[in-house]
Amino acid sequence: MTTPPFPNSTLCSDTIALDKNAIVAFAARFDPQPYHLDADAAAQSIFGGLCASGWHIAALATRLVSETLLSNGIPFVQMTSVSQLKWHQPTFVNEQISVRIALGAIEEESRIAGTHSQAIEVDVCNEDGAVVATMTATAAMARDPKRAVAS
Amino acid sequence: MTTLYLRDRWFEDLPVGEFHVFGSHTFSELEIVEFAQTFDPRPESTDPEYARGNHSQGLVASPWLITAMWMRKMVDYMEVYAQGVNDGRRNGAGVAINDLHWFEPVRPGHTLTYTYEIIAKPDRVIREKWGLIRSRNEAFNQYSNKVMQFEIDILAERRPVTSNDA
Repeated sequence: MTTPPFPNSTLCSDTIALDKNAIVAFAARFDPQPYHLDADAAAQSIFGGLCASGWHIAALATRLVSETLLSNGIPFVQMTSVSQLKWHQPTFVNEQISVRIALGAIEEESRIAGTHSQAIEVDVCNEDGAVVATMTATAAMARDPKRAVAS
Repeated sequence: MTTLYLRDRWFEDLPVGEFHVFGSHTFSELEIVEFAQTFDPRPESTDPEYARGNHSQGLVASPWLITAMWMRKMVDYMEVYAQGVNDGRRNGAGVAINDLHWFEPVRPGHTLTYTYEIIAKPDRVIREKWGLIRSRNEAFNQYSNKVMQFEIDILAERRPVTSNDA
């Protein structure tokens, strides 16, 4: 009756275009540093151009993970921990990002009621296939797969 | 000997063990819902009515809102006290985070207080001018419960060899 959350399977998401307005809007609210806000200042910075906050990338990646898992019948609820998150290169204006998700071992324990934990590896890629960020995480998955439908 | 202000310091001037309580924030229902609508659109975070009758026992903030607010509080604090944010050159970019955990839900009306402690200075020189500062960052709610923690490696510019600039 329940669909197992496919250990050892790999899934790919749709892409999201990261335009300047989205980058600047996130940065203005949460990460107002010059290289995320202003093209001229960014050109002089370590990144060499206007680029998205790393936290923006992490949040967008999680949205893509959620949508992809739910549309494949895997009842993702939320990330509960991230053992490593690395930003390998900046994500510049108008790059298209997507995620590649590898599901790992299922564990029984989760701190969230009605869920179990599952290991998850996420590669965040741009349209050239370059990996811009990687995330090694633990996700809470609902024991009742119908919860996946609610959102 | 000149006094070093926080905002004038280079990598070499930052001591392991330095600790800051750098900001606090009370989360509103509106910002929890708005963030979730864009980044984490699940009903536990976007729909107060649904969340009330759900396992979540009320609206909960997206975990990434909690970390995003860490960033905002850190930037605000650095603009006043720390080095380089306004000149766009000496400020450090984050490279990687480790051992990020969210322990408890954050709900509308909860107030988080964020802390930062330098725990290591890995012996590396990156692109000839940067060093790495590793810090442990934690957030506590109004009940003094730890709701989040992580370690982050942030670039800090090394003192130029020929410079008298402190």
